Amino acid sequence: MAHAVISCLHANLAALEAVLSDIDQRGITTITCLGDLVGYGPQPNEVVNLVRERSIPSCQGCWDEDIIEGLNACECSYPSQLAERRGHQAHQWTAEQLSEENKAFLASLPMTLRRDRLLFVHGSPNSQHEYLLPDMDAFAALERVQTADADTLFCGHTHRPYVRELRDGVIRVRVQTPADPQAAAEREMALPVRRIVNAGSVGEPRHGNTHATYVIHDEATGNVEIREVPYDVERTCRAIVEVGLPPVFAWRLRHGFEYAERADDASHVCER
Amino acid sequence: MARWALVSGLQGDLALYEAIQRDLRQLGRVDTLFVLGDLIGPDRDANALLDRLQDPRRGELAPQCIYGWWEDQLLAERGYRGERRADPLRQQFGQAAVEALQEAVDPGHLAWLAALQFGFIELDCALLHGSSADVGDWLGPESSPLLLLDRLTRMDVNRLFTARSGEQFCVELAGGGIASTVRDLAGERQLQQVVPQRKVIGIGGGLRYSLYDPGSERIAFRSVGQQPGSRGRGFA
Ligand SMILES: [Zn+2]
Ligand SMILES: [Zn+2]
Repeated sequence: MAHAVISCLHANLAALEAVLSDIDQRGITTITCLGDLVGYGPQPNEVVNLVRERSIPSCQGCWDEDIIEGLNACECSYPSQLAERRGHQAHQWTAEQLSEENKAFLASLPMTLRRDRLLFVHGSPNSQHEYLLPDMDAFAALERVQTADADTLFCGHTHRPYVRELRDGVIRVRVQTPADPQAAAEREMALPVRRIVNAGSVGEPRHGNTHATYVIHDEATGNVEIREVPYDVERTCRAIVEVGLPPVFAWRLRHGFEYAERADDASHVCER
Repeated sequence: MARWALVSGLQGDLALYEAIQRDLRQLGRVDTLFVLGDLIGPDRDANALLDRLQDPRRGELAPQCIYGWWEDQLLAERGYRGERRADPLRQQFGQAAVEALQEAVDPGHLAWLAALQFGFIELDCALLHGSSADVGDWLGPESSPLLLLDRLTRMDVNRLFTARSGEQFCVELAGGGIASTVRDLAGERQLQQVVPQRKVIGIGGGLRYSLYDPGSERIAFRSVGQQPGSRGRGFA
């Protein structure tokens, strides 16, 4: 059975509508959302309402968490001070716009969703704020999937879709203890094959193109398709400017700018 | 070349600390003393030890301390960790232990404890109580090599010293690798990575502590009460 995974909708209604209709056209009825329903974009209530109407199971994203908990993320969530200032502006605007009912809905979202050996998270199993970038240390990447006891980990948060298969892993260790300091025991651990699937972003793509992205996973074949869906970018850009959000968010949607605000340190985990 | 002594789990035991200091004086050639947390515990009054750590006697090595699991629990319960309270302690040892821990430490010491760091980075070594993941992370000789490698990678160091498990060990990553395929909208690429030459070292706790020579990377596992002249059960 094929199922669709969407992430990082970011209050972009036009993009969400386009992606949902693409999914519907394929006859796919199981959809999972990896969070970040709001933030950056101009239609937070409309997007949350649509996710609720369609009863799409969703994890809590970093923006969803911050909107309900108040902004307590350390600066590490933002790659630059400028990005942080803009982020705060968008945060404040979104918090003002969101209905209490929709805030309560975001607050009720779980950190993770699990279906058999598939695990769905926003950033990583550790944190909604951790970036799992496509070329991060392979052992660290595998550790995230393995510690979470999953075969395939679906994540978002980076806004760049990818599929990474980790395989043929082996670690050899020599263990020394006071009981037997000279004759060190050798141990070998064969690592299992695991996959990380990043669903990209519906509402704020940063993969170098303006199209919304999401993924379709066929559980029978294991195949993962990365989908790109064109949508009415100008409709969202106009709305961003109309409601008074920073125009750079519209600029970014128009350019699908790849490296606009990328976090550098994939392994950094906020200690708050 | 400098030699380090790495101590943890004193849990308020000043007599033990003095015994370790005597041991270090007799050994000589140790010029840096790191105390990797658990200065306090619920079993005895820790104030005399805390006074001494902050105000070393002449001729003693001055300790460089970080906080451990017990300090973290106390600081949480006392409101120094935001909303967090000492719930892990409460669940594992009960409410009586939470109260005993608070009684063991005079409130006058809290500010000093709260100023202690999570860890030190010295040369290419991370000196931590648990691990880069958490102060309570329990690493031992049987821990999954994948987990150990992850903890090293998170700090981006070649040597990680841990104390939480109280065990003395050295796990050396000695080889191996991993392949991966990344596919995105731009195409597909193959990545290959080898296991880096790194070590996780458990320094022990209480009576058992460790010596480390960063120049030669020689580790010696010591135990207080060992023959003063003996060189410890070291290895190259
Ligand atoms: Zn996002
Ligand atoms: Zn996010």
